[in-house]
Amino acid sequence: MREMTRYGVLRVLVAAYVAVWSAVRAPAVLDTLDFADRRFDPVGPLAFLDHPLPGPLLMAAVVVTPIAAAVLASGRREKLAGPTAAVGFLVVTTYRSSWGQLFHTENLVALHLVVIAAVPFLSGRGRAAGDDDRSWAVDTMAVLTVATYFVAGVAKLRISGWAWLDGDVLRHQIAFDNARKEVLGDTASPFAGWVLQQGWLLAPAAIMTMVVELAAPLALLRGRTAALWCGTAWLFHLSILVFMAILFPYHLLGIALAPLLPVERLGGTVAGWTGRFRPASTRSVPTG
Amino acid sequence: MSRRSRLLLLGVAAAVVLSPLARDPRDDTYPLSTYPMFAADRGAVHSIPTVVEVLGDGVTVRLSPESIAGTDEPVLTAVTVRTAVRDGRAGALCDEVVARLGVGRRARVQTERHDVIALIADDALPLAVEIHAECVGA
Repeated sequence: MREMTRYGVLRVLVAAYVAVWSAVRAPAVLDTLDFADRRFDPVGPLAFLDHPLPGPLLMAAVVVTPIAAAVLASGRREKLAGPTAAVGFLVVTTYRSSWGQLFHTENLVALHLVVIAAVPFLSGRGRAAGDDDRSWAVDTMAVLTVATYFVAGVAKLRISGWAWLDGDVLRHQIAFDNARKEVLGDTASPFAGWVLQQGWLLAPAAIMTMVVELAAPLALLRGRTAALWCGTAWLFHLSILVFMAILFPYHLLGIALAPLLPVERLGGTVAGWTGRFRPASTRSVPTG
Repeated sequence: MSRRSRLLLLGVAAAVVLSPLARDPRDDTYPLSTYPMFAADRGAVHSIPTVVEVLGDGVTVRLSPESIAGTDEPVLTAVTVRTAVRDGRAGALCDEVVARLGVGRRARVQTERHDVIALIADDALPLAVEIHAECVGA
């Protein structure tokens, strides 16, 4: 079985995630075709638009993005598939956030994907250069991961100051988010009522949240420090899911944290998955 | 890639993602977010606009985000209803909702004022309800 480096595993994980997400969320993105134009409020890379995208253009982006991402995951035609998937994903996710609600679950995916798309253009060519020459991408993705957490921690301090740590802000956030879901007919967390009654729990939870976010850069030290931080960050996202019914799939699946971890140990498994989608002539053949 | 190029790339990546720190934290965008979503103290009492269905006996039932705003995203639904109420288009929103629900179904656009902690922890009733529009599917 072909061994995979950390970059190789990351490319497969990120691209596969993008392929699946783009396919699963396609109906929600296409729902915007029925929205009234007055609801259109473009952001980020699409902020220059005066009107919603033409339907055929949006459909093309929705169809092409998962296909390009799947090709990228397979390791083929990286120079074409990478930029196509990155631009497509950026357009689709930005468009989804251009109707009055900014989503925060795909930001890091988009940034990681841009790095992967740049790899074939910035790294050496051929097997000799290999994935070792692509380790800069792993480091860059790791920096992107920790920086997003750090920015989130600083935002809390800038907006609420150290008062954020007393637990009241968190309590109100949990209550408001669940109440809004309930009033608008969505599914609220069945555990929210319980945690709101445990007032003593919320200050330590707020402190842990701040520690995870502001201490994120320490994970760049790698090794046990990174593993400890990744475990704590994962529990943080699990808590958000349990008590706020907000799913950060990229983070909970561990892909957001993967650049900090020795995921090359998964290489055999991942190579096996991707091998299933290669022509039989290129698969490894058992010997002996 | 040389060590210098590598460090340069890392610096650029860090600068790009940390660039929101130079903006007002409430000035959010995508994909370079300031991540302000859980940062502010929202307090415990909130007015939440919504759309409910009114049954024959006057009882109201919750509608799904799909029925209210044609999406499965609750926050997008909240923004849609709040904007419609704010812009004086509650009647138009009501018509859109009953068009999804079907002929003869009655909907009501209303703002519910809640103590959100009491609502979630104790199933408390709204502190107040303000009705903006009511309509029937034709």
